[in-house]
Amino acid sequence: MSGRSNARKQPKVKEKVIIDENNPMLRAFQAYAKELDAKHDRYERIVKLSRDITIEAKRIIFLLHSIDSRKGNKDKVLEEAQQRLEKVIKVNFKAVAQELQNLDPYQYRGAYAPGLQEFIEAYSFMEYMRYADDNQTSMSDWQQLQGKMQYTEAETNDEISAEMKEHKLSFHVEPSEYILGISDLSGELMRRCINSLGSGETDTCLLICKVLQHLYKGYIGLSIPRCRELSRKIHTMRQSVLKAEDVCYNVKVRGGEAAKWGLESEKPNVDIDEGFF
Amino acid sequence: MSNFVNLSIFENYQKYIDNEQEIREKIRLMVRKIEQNTKEAAIQLQIIHCDLSKIDNACAKARKTIAVCSENYQSLSELIPIGQYYRYSDHWTYITQRLVFIIAMVVYLEAGFLVTRETVAEMLGLKTNQADGFHLDIEDYLMGILQMASELSRFATNSVTLGDYDRPLHISRFMANLNAGYRLLNLKNDGLRKRFDALKYDVKKIEEVVYDISIRGLKNITNEATDETSNRETEENDSSTNAVGTVENI
Repeated sequence: MSGRSNARKQPKVKEKVIIDENNPMLRAFQAYAKELDAKHDRYERIVKLSRDITIEAKRIIFLLHSIDSRKGNKDKVLEEAQQRLEKVIKVNFKAVAQELQNLDPYQYRGAYAPGLQEFIEAYSFMEYMRYADDNQTSMSDWQQLQGKMQYTEAETNDEISAEMKEHKLSFHVEPSEYILGISDLSGELMRRCINSLGSGETDTCLLICKVLQHLYKGYIGLSIPRCRELSRKIHTMRQSVLKAEDVCYNVKVRGGEAAKWGLESEKPNVDIDEGFF
Repeated sequence: MSNFVNLSIFENYQKYIDNEQEIREKIRLMVRKIEQNTKEAAIQLQIIHCDLSKIDNACAKARKTIAVCSENYQSLSELIPIGQYYRYSDHWTYITQRLVFIIAMVVYLEAGFLVTRETVAEMLGLKTNQADGFHLDIEDYLMGILQMASELSRFATNSVTLGDYDRPLHISRFMANLNAGYRLLNLKNDGLRKRFDALKYDVKKIEEVVYDISIRGLKNITNEATDETSNRETEENDSSTNAVGTVENI
């Protein structure tokens, strides 16, 4: 018996698997193997795309943090950030949308979710920096983002027959991913708050603190069963809010100059990130 | 400034989630019904471990129960918005695997070959292609088949106890084929892979049973019986006739 099963194992080692063509069971399994491989390959490709999006989004966030009123570089940085974000939408998300064409996006959610969340974080942070002085404009919601991720595709894709000249394509922005992405924004705002303290812009600190409190209010109002990820993020958000409030407190009692020394000890926590840099 | 955070986003999201919860609630009810039916079918099939003469009867009963499940799957599929199968699929993957196992078992007991994914889908009233709607996921199918393998290894021991010495030989060939089939797959390091790793123990168990039978010369089959089984066999697998030879040579 064992000799026989060894004989069966051997072809597996070779790249081209030789099977008995008369065996319907093995033929069926060959088909299954093909289908599974196609699925895994697609998953891997999306993971790769998502990773690129994550890296670019993190860099954009980093870029946005370099906005400094003393250098007067706000417009220039915002312009560049916006352009890079548009490019991520045009290139990277389009590629993901192409992969997911006619498929259930939820099947590959695990593959693209990290990139999408990071992107939403970067995008909303850009919006915040842009509209910080404007009292009217609020951040985009998922429908607006969804609206940006519509693509029409001229037929270059060789998989599809030439009869369709133009093809509508969209990337599905899942509201839950949006909410998770926005919750990461609180971390960036807190970081921004502390940086502003360093550069002496105490007004910004107070403003950001208000935004954070507002954001937090929105999040604790949600009642979402069985979402551990979100409750973890709300917990982190609370800590960010507390830190920002502490900053404001110090500004009030000691005045802007002294506060930045007082907070030095709390700073290390700020930089915990997923380590893409 | 605090206008930047638009609180209506959260209201909208809450509505969105409430809506999702409602759908989940309905799905849960329907899945529970299917679960109940599946259990019934599983119980009906347990008879094979104690009375071999009732196998046909049990299979017929199980088929009826499966037909009921198929109706419930129809109602279930109507609950799922188009293109959101995988959003909710965690509710029914387990039960679908269980049903695949039962169907595969029934088909094996009746005809002695491995049911294809298409046939299972047909019996449950599902599609095989994702694009066509509510479908039978390939991983669920493969998981269900692995469950069947464990059950068959148990069945092999019990059929020896009940005095049927041919059956283990057939099961053994069948399992060897199954094992070969699974080896064609490139599995990711996930649940399916882990479950597949357990298959070798099932194969080993059956091989030991076959060994026990062979070494004691218990394989006292008449020629007709051999012909009958091998005829059934040829349809399924030509190479397995060689396997019969191997066993007899031992």
